[in-house]
Amino acid sequence: MNVYFLKEHDFNSFMSKMIESKKVIGPVAKKSKFVFDKLESPEQLRLDYDVTILPPKKEFFPTCQKLVCFDGNKFEGCINPQEKILFGVHFYDVKAIDMTDHLFSEKNQDWNYLANRKATTIVASNIQKVSGRAFFASVGKEVGPKGHDAFITKINGGYVFEAITDKGEAIVKFGKFEKASDSQKSEAQSANESMLGKCPEKLKYSSSEIADKVRKNFTNEKLWEEAAHDCFSCGSCNVVCPTCYCFDVQDDWNLDQKTGTRSRYWDACLTEDFSKVSLGGGHAENFRESRGDRFRHRIMRKATYLNEKLGGPACVGCGRCSSACTADIADPVNVINKIMEAK
Amino acid sequence: MSKPKVGFFDFSSCEGCQIELTNYGDTAFLELLNHIDIVEFREAMTETAGDLDIACVEGSFTREADRARLESIRKRSKIVIAYGACAATAGVNALKNHQADYKENVYGKDAHMPHLDSSKALPISAAIKVDYSVYGCPMDKYEFLRIVTHLLHGKEPVIPNYPVCMECKRRETVCRYEDGDHCMGQVARAGCNAPCPADGIPCEACRGFVDQPNEVALVKVLKERAGFSEKRAQEKSRIFTAALRSDSK
Repeated sequence: MNVYFLKEHDFNSFMSKMIESKKVIGPVAKKSKFVFDKLESPEQLRLDYDVTILPPKKEFFPTCQKLVCFDGNKFEGCINPQEKILFGVHFYDVKAIDMTDHLFSEKNQDWNYLANRKATTIVASNIQKVSGRAFFASVGKEVGPKGHDAFITKINGGYVFEAITDKGEAIVKFGKFEKASDSQKSEAQSANESMLGKCPEKLKYSSSEIADKVRKNFTNEKLWEEAAHDCFSCGSCNVVCPTCYCFDVQDDWNLDQKTGTRSRYWDACLTEDFSKVSLGGGHAENFRESRGDRFRHRIMRKATYLNEKLGGPACVGCGRCSSACTADIADPVNVINKIMEAK
Repeated sequence: MSKPKVGFFDFSSCEGCQIELTNYGDTAFLELLNHIDIVEFREAMTETAGDLDIACVEGSFTREADRARLESIRKRSKIVIAYGACAATAGVNALKNHQADYKENVYGKDAHMPHLDSSKALPISAAIKVDYSVYGCPMDKYEFLRIVTHLLHGKEPVIPNYPVCMECKRRETVCRYEDGDHCMGQVARAGCNAPCPADGIPCEACRGFVDQPNEVALVKVLKERAGFSEKRAQEKSRIFTAALRSDSK
């Protein structure tokens, strides 16, 4: 595919034309933080964001998603995918989307996710500012970003736009793009590479070394109880995680008591009731009853259990969990480096 | 099928949760009345009824003399709902369990009137079996509607046992701590959809604690991240959870 260049002063008209004809989602400011939201004007777009509160997967897998509408005994699916462009996704989130794409399409295909995903064009962007807890340069290095349709990189005087798929190429018509020169391409490459050296946090071991040692510590109960001592079981680390994909399904009736909807909500394995199962007769059993059990489960899921399926850990180093945890115990770098350094 | 008979009752409370029922607006409230029969409701009618399908009890259990009335409500009701924070967790009423001079402070020269005599403020579950609780001060009218709806369909209502943080994250509210503030969302029972932090106000845990709050970690975070003194951090969560804390009396 082609690599283009767009001059700085042509950028806003490119965005305006795209917003006029398509639904465009991009990073926008929310107080001191950033969120992915629908763009109404090019000025809202903040490609200089560090990280968003929630990952962009919410565009295919909303925090609350209506699945089925019912009327008495009649029911029908209410998934209504809309064509959209997800603009300005950092490479770590591209990696995470590729993981959830895989997890939602293996075995039973989850059409509620895949329909929205297929309707989306993803334009990745270079990281201009690194968040305070990021470690994307040292985690899962064996897994590269893929599945995006284009990649836009800010360089001096404009943007280098690499079209990767036909969907990505289709965006070029909105702006005054010209072919990128070799020097512009290499400037873009070094802009992306240089950000890897700016992560404030670092995992010191390879994915396979980590997977082995973390798994060996499964029965080290003291370690997990200590690590989880200050855990609120609040689930914040799960909810902000770009690779978490668990959900709970609930039914709601409308006031007429006849019609209603079945919806799914993001769930979190750190919360107490997540692993509570019915034994019938009003009795229940919780198979991860202690904070330590639940804390261990999250680290196992991120560092070992999914590695074979995904080709690397189910963590992309965005640092969202680290900053969302008010007790500051969720940081995978701290937990994993501590396990690795223990005897 | 005849409509389920529903009654409302009040004990020590401001009766605000019953008033909240009238805040649905005409359409929703009148639609609800197509599906339930409100047969006893002191706020709005004088009639009393016999057997009930659902009794909604507002207010805390604060006088031994109230036990018999609570027991009689229980006896004639298939389902008892603790309606609002005072009934469900004893709410702010339980603050008095930690004070000796509250009567003088509140009632002044009338402090020794006999009808003001009361014992500890407790949730109604201290006197009778409670089937479901609608938490919150005031209770969330949409949650109440959801619970009643599930009961109408013979389904078990789902009442969250996860903290308010989950709801803030789902709606991408900037954390109060990120704004240099404090919050108790980490230990507070969700279900309200976290409106306060979204408006820039810390969660005061008006719905009470989750089943297993990490009180030690809360004190630590209030001190280290919000800059609270030891005393303030220790006492902070008492406002709505005095009867739930590990030092409850």
